[in-house]
Amino acid sequence: MSGSSKTAASSATAEAASAAASEGVSGAVPAAGLQDRTAAVPGTDTEEGLRFQQLTIAYPNGQRPLDRLELTLPKDRITCIIGPSGCGKSTLLRAVAGLVQPLEGEIRLSGRPVRPKETRIGFVPQNFGLLAWKTARANIVTAMELAGTGVAPGRKAREAEADRWLAAMGIGGLGSRYPLSLSGGQQQRVAIARAFALRPSLLLLDEPFSALDAMTRESMQRLFWMSWREHPATALFVTHDVEEAVLLGERILVMPKNPEADIRLLENPASQLEWEGRRESACFFEQANLVRRVIRDAW
Amino acid sequence: MVNTKRKMMNRLLSLVGVLAGMHILWYVLALLIDNPILPSPIPVYGTMNELVQAGIGRHVAYSLYRIAAGIAGSLVIGLAIGLLMGRSAFWNKLLDPVVYLTYPIPKIALLPVAMLLFGLGETSKILLIGLILVFQIIISVRDAVKAIPEESYDVLTTLGAGSMAKFRHVTLPGALSVILSTVRISLGTAISVLFFTEIYGTQYGMGYFIMDAWLRMDYAQMYAGILVLSAGGFVLFLLVDVLDAVWMKWRRLR
Repeated sequence: MSGSSKTAASSATAEAASAAASEGVSGAVPAAGLQDRTAAVPGTDTEEGLRFQQLTIAYPNGQRPLDRLELTLPKDRITCIIGPSGCGKSTLLRAVAGLVQPLEGEIRLSGRPVRPKETRIGFVPQNFGLLAWKTARANIVTAMELAGTGVAPGRKAREAEADRWLAAMGIGGLGSRYPLSLSGGQQQRVAIARAFALRPSLLLLDEPFSALDAMTRESMQRLFWMSWREHPATALFVTHDVEEAVLLGERILVMPKNPEADIRLLENPASQLEWEGRRESACFFEQANLVRRVIRDAW
Repeated sequence: MVNTKRKMMNRLLSLVGVLAGMHILWYVLALLIDNPILPSPIPVYGTMNELVQAGIGRHVAYSLYRIAAGIAGSLVIGLAIGLLMGRSAFWNKLLDPVVYLTYPIPKIALLPVAMLLFGLGETSKILLIGLILVFQIIISVRDAVKAIPEESYDVLTTLGAGSMAKFRHVTLPGALSVILSTVRISLGTAISVLFFTEIYGTQYGMGYFIMDAWLRMDYAQMYAGILVLSAGGFVLFLLVDVLDAVWMKWRRLR
């Protein structure tokens, strides 16, 4: 048993977010715009958002990567989770996905417990998670079928929807190809198309772009952002890349190396800038440096 | 497309070449030995007409039926047990020693037991073919299922998929390539065992036909029977290749 409970919570409301947005777009965001929320009051009264309540996860060896985690993340926003290997960031994601059963505690989305059978989850694993024996289109259609009929009724409609998402990802012509004949970047596009085609209320991405080369990664980040803007969902995005976190995350969750230390949730005004030029903006660099500083303290 | 066509042509040509080479070797040997126990290909093929009139089709049909029933039965049972052992640690722990201990028993030696228990009819023949195949199938299916990475099920789990859906979309297709190669290997074994079981208690089947021709000292017919049995095996082999081409398309597109 570890001593202190990890507490990090955001009391940010929609107003705060939109305030940050207007600040961000005006381009006059001071470095202090990135607020350290560690000291904020734990928990919120509203039922909005993704809420972790006393979440405790134990590995079979007894180690506890997460111990009584209290955290609330805003609804329909992207939260990037960044941390050193082995800090439990993937475990946190897998717990939300229902792949790891917590020892104690609960995860709620808008007041309802997150369960794979009830919550529509779009999961993009690091290895893309495509079924090698199904074509790109069939991978998406199968996922839609398993997720339930709500997405698109009828096989024809599902196939059309799958093709639409493949086209949105820029691989419209590859629907009948098998994953093994696709490049890593193309497979990742299929995986992301699948996640969005489900119209998920929760989007979970586990280092989705880490296996891609730099150029492909940048175009995938853009595609992801554009798709998410059109179909916003509460998204958790695990990454080990500071730039990626600052580029995509409205919040950045910095997980410490030592499980005893506090998790820190940072606001990131750079995510409110227009996409074009975001990566080159002064704000982006300041945020990246700030996150690096926080990481240096935390790791 | 052109490339695959050329590959197929090359393969076909090499098969025809090997077949022709074997016949030439056979012919030369027959000339050298110069003894009725090894007739040359010409009288052997010449007797094929007689074979057809003597109702070789019926013998072939019986043999195919026994092979098909033996393979089908062992596939159903072997798949069920192999999948169970591959997916459940409990069942694997329980059944592994059973399979381990019974696998090395030469099942063909159980032929008299099968005959005593199930008579001389079809049951004992099919049972023996199935018995020999089922252990290979259990072991290879179990290992194939175990080799499917646990992450393959992750996305389905997050979608709330039940165990039937996981079986249908992941376990079965993931194990299918191994199942096909097991069937391929099993075919050879099945035909050998078939021959063995057809020399008793039946008047139909290629095994019976060949042994009968041998006893009648009609060597041309005996060799013709061997040729027909081999051709039958080859056709079954091709059938597995066709299934492989249809179901395993995803593997060859690297």
